Amino acid sequence: MTTTEIALARPRGTSGHALSRRDIRLGEILLAPALAYIFLLVALPFLLALFLSLTNSSAGSLEFSFVGLQNFRSVMYSPVFRRALTNTFVFTFLSQLLVIVLGNILARALMVPFRGKLAVRFLILLPWAAPISLATLGWLWIFDSTFSVINWVLKVVGWLGPGQWYYWLGDPVLGMIAIITVHVWRMLPFSTVILLAGLTSIPKEVHEAADLDGAGPLAKAFQITLPMMLPILTVAVLFGVVFTFTDMSVVYLLTRGGPFNSTHVLASLAFQDGVLGGDVGRGAAVAIFLVPLLVVMAVVMLRLSRRAEVV
Amino acid sequence: MQSRRQFILKGAKLVAVGAAAASSGPTVFVRGAGAADKQLKVLQWAHFVPAYDKWFDPWAKAWGAKHGVEVTVDHVGFADVVPRATAEVAAQSGHDVHMFIGLASAFEEHVIDLKEVSGALEKKYGKPVELAHRSTYNPFTKKQFALSDMWVPDPGNYHKKVWTDIGMPNGPSTYEDLVKAAPEIKKVAPQMQIPIGIGLSQDIDSNMAVRNILWCHGGSIQDAEGNVVLNSPETLKAIEYTKRLYSVGMNQAVLSWNAASNNQAFNAQETSYILNSISAYRTAQDNKLPVLENYFFVPALKGPTGIQRASEHVMSGYVVWKFSKNQDVAKQFLMALVEASRESMLASKLYNFPSYYGAVADPGTPMNKKAESGAAWIAKQCNADPFGSQPPDKLSLLASALSWSTNLGYPGFANPAEGEIFDTYVITDMFAKAATGALSPRDALTEASNRAKEIFAKWRKKKMVGGGSKDR
Repeated sequence: MTTTEIALARPRGTSGHALSRRDIRLGEILLAPALAYIFLLVALPFLLALFLSLTNSSAGSLEFSFVGLQNFRSVMYSPVFRRALTNTFVFTFLSQLLVIVLGNILARALMVPFRGKLAVRFLILLPWAAPISLATLGWLWIFDSTFSVINWVLKVVGWLGPGQWYYWLGDPVLGMIAIITVHVWRMLPFSTVILLAGLTSIPKEVHEAADLDGAGPLAKAFQITLPMMLPILTVAVLFGVVFTFTDMSVVYLLTRGGPFNSTHVLASLAFQDGVLGGDVGRGAAVAIFLVPLLVVMAVVMLRLSRRAEVV
Repeated sequence: MQSRRQFILKGAKLVAVGAAAASSGPTVFVRGAGAADKQLKVLQWAHFVPAYDKWFDPWAKAWGAKHGVEVTVDHVGFADVVPRATAEVAAQSGHDVHMFIGLASAFEEHVIDLKEVSGALEKKYGKPVELAHRSTYNPFTKKQFALSDMWVPDPGNYHKKVWTDIGMPNGPSTYEDLVKAAPEIKKVAPQMQIPIGIGLSQDIDSNMAVRNILWCHGGSIQDAEGNVVLNSPETLKAIEYTKRLYSVGMNQAVLSWNAASNNQAFNAQETSYILNSISAYRTAQDNKLPVLENYFFVPALKGPTGIQRASEHVMSGYVVWKFSKNQDVAKQFLMALVEASRESMLASKLYNFPSYYGAVADPGTPMNKKAESGAAWIAKQCNADPFGSQPPDKLSLLASALSWSTNLGYPGFANPAEGEIFDTYVITDMFAKAATGALSPRDALTEASNRAKEIFAKWRKKKMVGGGSKDR
C-alpha cells in the first residue's frame, strides 16, 4: 500500500498515534489493581521482614533495636536451622521431580479421548481446589501413628507382620515422605494442567514430519516435545519451586516440624520461632534467608525460558 | 510505542498516587463517633470441656447486661491464642481482655498492671494458690501482668484392668514403676500399641510431661533466681531415665502426637498410661466408651529421690491490653469471673480448679478460714463426683492436687524466656533426641542448654528476666 492508501485506510476521526495512547492508558489502569495487590501484600511485607530480620524485635513488644546480621549469624549456628535448610532443598527437589514426571504422565493420558474424561479431569483438579488445611487434616488421619488407614491396609494384605508398623509422622524419614506425598498430591493438578497446555500447543504437523523422517518415541520426546515444551515447563517448575520453597502449611499441619524439629522447612521454622516463640527478628531472618537464591533462580529460569521459546 | 518496563513503571506510579490519596484522606470513611455504650471484647480459648463454654458465654453476657456492658466473647483454638495476641499487639487493636492458657509473660510490656484487681481479690478471698501467683507475677519488674481465675491439675490416667493384671491394681506411684511395668504390660496386653503413653513430640502435653520427668529427677531449666541450670547431673539422669523408658515401653508413635493424641490413644485402649487432665475422661463418659470402667487416676509420680511434681496442665492468665479503651470494665469483669469460681468449676465438670481457693468457700466463712473452706468444698466435689463417676470418689486424688502441682518455670517464676523455651519445644526435643538415639544424652543436654542460655540472655537484655550470674 502507498502512504496515501494507508492514510485513507485509518478510521475516520482518529489517528493511529492517539488510539495507541488510549490503549496504553487503559492497560495501565487495568494493571494497577494487580500491582497494588503485589505491592501491599507481597512487597511491603517482604520489606518489613527484611527490616525486622536486622532487629531484636519480639512478639510482645513494639520497641526494638538494630542488631545488624546477628540474627542471621545466630540461626546459621543452629542445628535446627541447618536441618530445616537441607529439608527445604530435599523437599522441593523431590516433590517437584515427582510432580513433573507424574504430571507428564497424567497430561499425556488426558490428551487421549476416552469415556468419562471430563469426570477424570474434575477429580484430578480436586486436590488443587480443596482448602489445604482441610485436605491436610484428612492426610493427618491417613498417616496417623495409631489409626493410619495405610497401615491398616498393609496389615490386611500381609505386608506388615505382627509387631510391624509404620510410624509415618513419628519417624524423620517417613515424616518427610508423608510431607512430600501430600505436597505432590496437592501440586499435581496444577502441573498437569500446565503440561497439558504445553503438549497440546505443539503443532501436529511437527510430530507427523518426525514420523515421516522415522523418529522413534524417544527421539520425538527429547528432540521435539521437550525442547518445544521447555518454556512452559520452565515456568511450571519455577512456580512449583518457589511455591514449595515458601510453603509451611503442609509441614505445620502434618508434623509441626517434628519429630524433634527434624522435618521443619524454613517457612515452618520461621513461624515456630517468630510467631509461637515470639522472636520475630529471628523468625524473619529464617524466612528470608533463601530470598537471594530464589531471586537468582527466578531470573535464570525466566531467561532460559525466553531463550527456549520457539518462534 | 512504550516498552514493557515503561508500561509497568507507569502502572506503579498510578498505584503510588492512589495509595497516597487514600492515606491522606482518612476522614472520608471514618465512622461518626456517637455516644459510646460500654463494651467489652474478650478473647478466650475453646475449652477442652465444651460444657464450660456453654456456661461461660451466657454468663458473660448476663454479667454485661446487669452492668450495662455489651460483652462479646470470641473463642479460638488453644494453638491460636499466642498468634492472635501477637497480631493484636502489632496492630495495637483488637480485644480488651485476652486469655492465655500458658505463659502471658512475653506480652508484659503491652498489658496493664492488675495489682489493683489482685489486691482486691486477695482482701476478699485470701492469696491465690502459689502456682497461679508464680505464673502471673513478675518479681523482676514487680508487675502483676495477668490474673488467673483457674488452673488445671495433670494427674496420671491409667487403665485399671491392665495394671491389675500385672499386679499393680492402684497404678504406678513412681517413674521407675513405669519402666518395670512396661514389659509386663506388653505381655498381658499385646494389642496395646504403646504400653506407656508419655508424649515426646512438639505439643503441649509432651511439654508438660517432660518437665514433670525433669523436675522429679531434681533438674530444672532455671533456679529460683532465674539462672539457667539445665546443664546438671540431675537433668542428665532424667534424660537417661526417659531413654530407658522409651526403649521398654514406648515407640515412635509418641514422637508424632498432638494435643488430642494421648486422649485418643487412651480412649481407644491403645495405651495403659497417659499424663492428662480429666478432659479425656469426660470425653469417655460423654461417649460411654468401653474404656470407662477401667479409667482411673493416680497423682503425680515420684522421682528416684521422692520428688513429686507435675506441671499444671493449663493455667489461665487473663490480660488487659494497654490499648484497650475499656480497662475499668475489664477489671470489673475479671473480678466477677473469680467470684464465679464455683460455677466455673462445676461448669467445666471439675476440669477447672480455682486459683483463689477462698472464692469457692462457703458463704459467710471468716476471712482466715476461707482457703480452708474452699479446699473442703473442692474436696467434697472430688470425693463425690457430681458428674456420674463410678465409683463416685474416682476423682478424689484431685483434692490434694495442689500439693504435687507446680507452675511452668519451677522452681522460679514463669517468665518470657521460659515461655519461649516452652513454645519452641527445646525440652521435648532434648528428651526425644536422646530417647531415640538421634543424639547421646550428653549431646542432647548440651544442645538444649546452649539454646536455653541463648534465649535467657536475649530476654535479660530486654530487662524482663533476672539471674545470669550463675548460669551453668
